[in-house]
Amino acid sequence: MTTLRVLTVDDSRTILAMLHHTLSNAGFEVLQAEDGKQGLDMLKSGEFDVVITDINMPVMDGIEFIRHVRATGQHQSLPILILTTETSQDKRDQGKAAGGTGWIVKPFDPEKLISVIHRVVH
Amino acid sequence: MSDLDDFKATYFDECSELLTELEEQFAAIEAGERDAGRLNAVFRAIHSIKGGAGAFGFSALVGFAHAYETLLDYVRDGRIEMSDDVVTLCIRANDIVADHVKAAQTGEALPADYGMDEKARFDALARGESVAEDEEGGEPLEEFDIEFVPVMVHIEAAEDETHESDAFEAAPMAFEPGHWEIHFRPHQALYARANDPLLLFRELAALGEMSVRAVIGEIPALADFEPFAVYCSWEITLISPSLTEAMIREVFEFVDGDCDIAVAQLGGGLAPLDVAPAQSLPLEPGLSDLLALADDEVEALLDFALESAPVAEPAESVEEAPEPSFAALAETIKPSAPIAVARVPVEALKPATPVPESEDGERRNVGVQSIRVDLDKVDRVVNMVGELVITQSMLTQQMDETLRARYTELVRGLEVLAQTTRGLQDSVMAIRAQPVKSVFSRMPRLVRELAQKTGKKIKLETIGENTEIDKTVIEQLSDPLTHMIRNSADHGIEAPDLRTARGKADTGTIRLSAEQAGGNILIIVEDDGGGINRERVLQVARDKGIVAADVNPSDEQIDQLIFAPGFSTASEVSDISGRGVGMDVVLSNIKKIGGSVHVRSWTGKGTRMTLRLPLTLAVLDVMLVKVGGSPYVVPLSSIVETIQCSRAAFERVPSGGKVLQVRGEYVQVIDLAERFDMLTETEADNRFVVLCEAEGSHKVALIVDDIIGQQQVVIKSLEENFERVDGIAGGTILGDGNVALIVDVQGLKTTIMHKTAA
Repeated sequence: MTTLRVLTVDDSRTILAMLHHTLSNAGFEVLQAEDGKQGLDMLKSGEFDVVITDINMPVMDGIEFIRHVRATGQHQSLPILILTTETSQDKRDQGKAAGGTGWIVKPFDPEKLISVIHRVVH
Repeated sequence: MSDLDDFKATYFDECSELLTELEEQFAAIEAGERDAGRLNAVFRAIHSIKGGAGAFGFSALVGFAHAYETLLDYVRDGRIEMSDDVVTLCIRANDIVADHVKAAQTGEALPADYGMDEKARFDALARGESVAEDEEGGEPLEEFDIEFVPVMVHIEAAEDETHESDAFEAAPMAFEPGHWEIHFRPHQALYARANDPLLLFRELAALGEMSVRAVIGEIPALADFEPFAVYCSWEITLISPSLTEAMIREVFEFVDGDCDIAVAQLGGGLAPLDVAPAQSLPLEPGLSDLLALADDEVEALLDFALESAPVAEPAESVEEAPEPSFAALAETIKPSAPIAVARVPVEALKPATPVPESEDGERRNVGVQSIRVDLDKVDRVVNMVGELVITQSMLTQQMDETLRARYTELVRGLEVLAQTTRGLQDSVMAIRAQPVKSVFSRMPRLVRELAQKTGKKIKLETIGENTEIDKTVIEQLSDPLTHMIRNSADHGIEAPDLRTARGKADTGTIRLSAEQAGGNILIIVEDDGGGINRERVLQVARDKGIVAADVNPSDEQIDQLIFAPGFSTASEVSDISGRGVGMDVVLSNIKKIGGSVHVRSWTGKGTRMTLRLPLTLAVLDVMLVKVGGSPYVVPLSSIVETIQCSRAAFERVPSGGKVLQVRGEYVQVIDLAERFDMLTETEADNRFVVLCEAEGSHKVALIVDDIIGQQQVVIKSLEENFERVDGIAGGTILGDGNVALIVDVQGLKTTIMHKTAA
């Protein structure tokens, strides 16, 4: 069985570490970026099955990152999950408008995280 | 759980960086740089602290950070102006966040109402605005569930069927529990955001027994086919005893707004819903398998659509899309086919295997410029390099002249080894080195607070904040520096009117500087205040029995008295420098990291306190001496010269003590054998005097039995392995495996001074 490749984009080392732990325990291959810019570079360098991104980040924030990903034309069907502490519908709508597939509310529960990923990935 | 502990360690590490970042940002913001970049950085820092805190359930921290973050958000939006008051409030809020972080780290509970006043002020600031988001701060944060957002029930009226919604609401309640009917029609936007109906069906199938009917009556003739248009909708029944509407709604959570959806309980069994589907047309069973349609064909359409999608807003671009050729699709889709219906076996919808990987060879890891390493690991390397340095110096020492003459190649090799070892040592030390900035950056806030509390005008200048010191030294530096600056602000700088009366500017200056001086780092706290009131200091010292009545210390000795244990000149304990701890704490903290403190004062002009710190804590250049048959080491940096006892000019003082006369100066003599209760068999004349300089350029003459030579040693803490011993700074293991104690020159001197004084 092939391994799902996940790209996580977050400027918090704590969250990156937790994501890495949870996802690799679930058998995913995890690559990580610290901001949207780095995330875009990594998307250029390889294929991913799903992206999990934070919203508030330096250099390039999550919303802009998603817009860029969708704008490349190569990643139209790449599911992008937004990892956010924002519970407001407003932020969620912004993420969605940019082309986000779904969202995960921080703090995440490992089981829920995995199930949410399965909800958007074949 | 050790994983969690690891994450927590990462989190606290990150927090300390973020808090430093906050300090730096606010230093600039205070100086007037109120641009969006700084505000965003501040917002992100608080946001990250909050995010991690949520993960570990530090709810007090989350609550406060959330309120603070909301305020910052308003400031970013321009709803609240970044006035001086707001800046001051934010700086206070940073402290509260820092305290919460500390409390979370140590497990100590803060008062329940801690920071509530500030939180209330956030609210007050936001008053008049919508503070709806603030309410979220009180949410139960233990809740780890994915947020459930209620989905609006609304079926887009298809053709002339407009009554569904109403009918749903008015539906009679005699339903069999757990039998549900779902109508689902995706919009183009659903596909544009990489959602897929198939996955939704898979989720639903996991909830219960499912059957799906595809409504494809709207699929037009090929000529009219729009590649991005959505022609298909589905009617689904789902049966499971415990199934609730919320569970179904949750499946559609991500596609809320990107589809029309209706959910209703079935009247019983698989009886038709009393609401007609969008287009109720005759069934044509066997036309095609629903899955085949949902999966292969819809996907084929979708893929095609996606590939030819221009950019940015695929959902909007329907009209501009080129007319595609549908040769391949025409084979499978019969444009005239009104309906496709199929019973979908539940098994078929179970999670599919992941899509195959591609381009494995092209994958590479990118974006790694630095690594984070546990300090423990670095320490291990530092220790090993230290041992290597010692082995190397031992080897060099053991080369006698004959060997040197005979094996020139070996000697050369050893020289190269010595150089490489030293280089390796420097590089390893550099890994642990950090700019003192991280500590210095906390001081402006302190000075500001002190100025407020004392009503004085004080400005802080910092110099050399990029000077690097060992990380452990930096960590130990914060408290002493805080104390010293408090001392300067409280006792040093005069009140504005007094300053004016003395002909000085009414604003006092505290200058904090760092510089490297040889193997040491000098950190200097200097103020242009009134200087130390020596009469008063001496009086207090005599009153407290620190200095005997018949002893007349020099000015410098008096200045140094402020570091004596229990010494405080403040007539009443203020909450600034009082707090029950005096400058003696500074001294002991600094000594703990192998440093020393020296104070000099000029009456009416100011005070200068100098911290001398070792560049590294691990390796020390020493002189190896022998006392009573045992090896001791004296730090080389404190040694001025060595003299053979037979040539030394000792004199007796009336009290019976011995002093040494060196170039017209009388120096106190300490016989180490006597001091450490060792028996010495060496004749008095054959012994040596090691003239050392203790802090404040006070000299002390140590008498030892023999001098063996110079070398480097790796310091091992006595306190960690045994207990603190007066006059001993630590231990070390010599090249031959023997343990030698490191003489604490300053410590020896202090004990002696106390003896004399008492």
